[in-house]
Amino acid sequence: MRAATAVDASSLGAVLRQSTWMFAAMEVAHLLGLALLLGTTLAVDLRLLGAALRDQPVAAVAEGTRRWNTAGLLVMVGSGALLAAAEPLKLAASPPFAIKMALLGPAILYTYTVQRLIVRRPTPAFVARASAIVSLTLWFGVALAGRTIAFY
Amino acid sequence: MSLQAWCAFIQASSVGTAIRESALVFPVIETAHVLAISLSVGLVLLFDLRLVSAALRAATPEQIVRGLKPWYLAGFAIMFATGGLLFWSEALRCYQSGAFRWKMAFLALAGLNAALFEMKYEGRIGAWSERIPGGAQAVGWCSLVCWAAVIALGRWTAYRLG
Repeated sequence: MRAATAVDASSLGAVLRQSTWMFAAMEVAHLLGLALLLGTTLAVDLRLLGAALRDQPVAAVAEGTRRWNTAGLLVMVGSGALLAAAEPLKLAASPPFAIKMALLGPAILYTYTVQRLIVRRPTPAFVARASAIVSLTLWFGVALAGRTIAFY
Repeated sequence: MSLQAWCAFIQASSVGTAIRESALVFPVIETAHVLAISLSVGLVLLFDLRLVSAALRAATPEQIVRGLKPWYLAGFAIMFATGGLLFWSEALRCYQSGAFRWKMAFLALAGLNAALFEMKYEGRIGAWSERIPGGAQAVGWCSLVCWAAVIALGRWTAYRLG
């Protein structure tokens, strides 16, 4: 809460609040990042489930989307940080935001550790499918929680 | 009936009103609309990125279409269904919104772009391995720009309609 108050009082907070254009641009960037991040995540997870791109090796799908997955994540985290800096007090008191942040860390960690190992080598089908389900649950959990912030 | 009058009519209809005034229905539909961006544009952009040789280079464009089409078609079906319901509830306000009109213009352009691609390259896409024809690359770029514009203008519309 102290951090939120500090950010709110900072010049960054002031700039972002005063410039509706900036805030809107960050929201647009957040959505464009979402298309990239969730689109690439879906491609890999659908492949792990054996539901799409079946004639491609899993490793090829993962490798072929990796840079865009990372780019999407960077755009989302960057725009997200600026959006949060514009309304830190409101978000600090928001249960959906707390849930979103609680899921985001595990989602990133999971994608860049466990999932990365799984896509690189041949794995039993049930492991691949379980991993995809974990990944989709985490990432769409983040997205859903994020969407709910506005309704509180 | 003019287009504006028609929009006013459907906005005031019982279905439109019910959606607009419900505490739960409108947010749920809007949430589905935003999340399904991932299933529609999110997947189609992988094909566009392949056309410009920026992603999934181990696959041919044809393999990507074949491998993703059922999913992004489902995604677009969700986008149109949810979008249609959202429009139904606020048709007049959408009609009056410049941002919404531009969004529809870019949506039409994206559709036209896809249709032209089908017409020009249908059946020939399987022969591409290394070099993607210039026209197809142009289609890829156009698609990426159009969809980014649709998303941006969609967000702007929501902002305006508040």
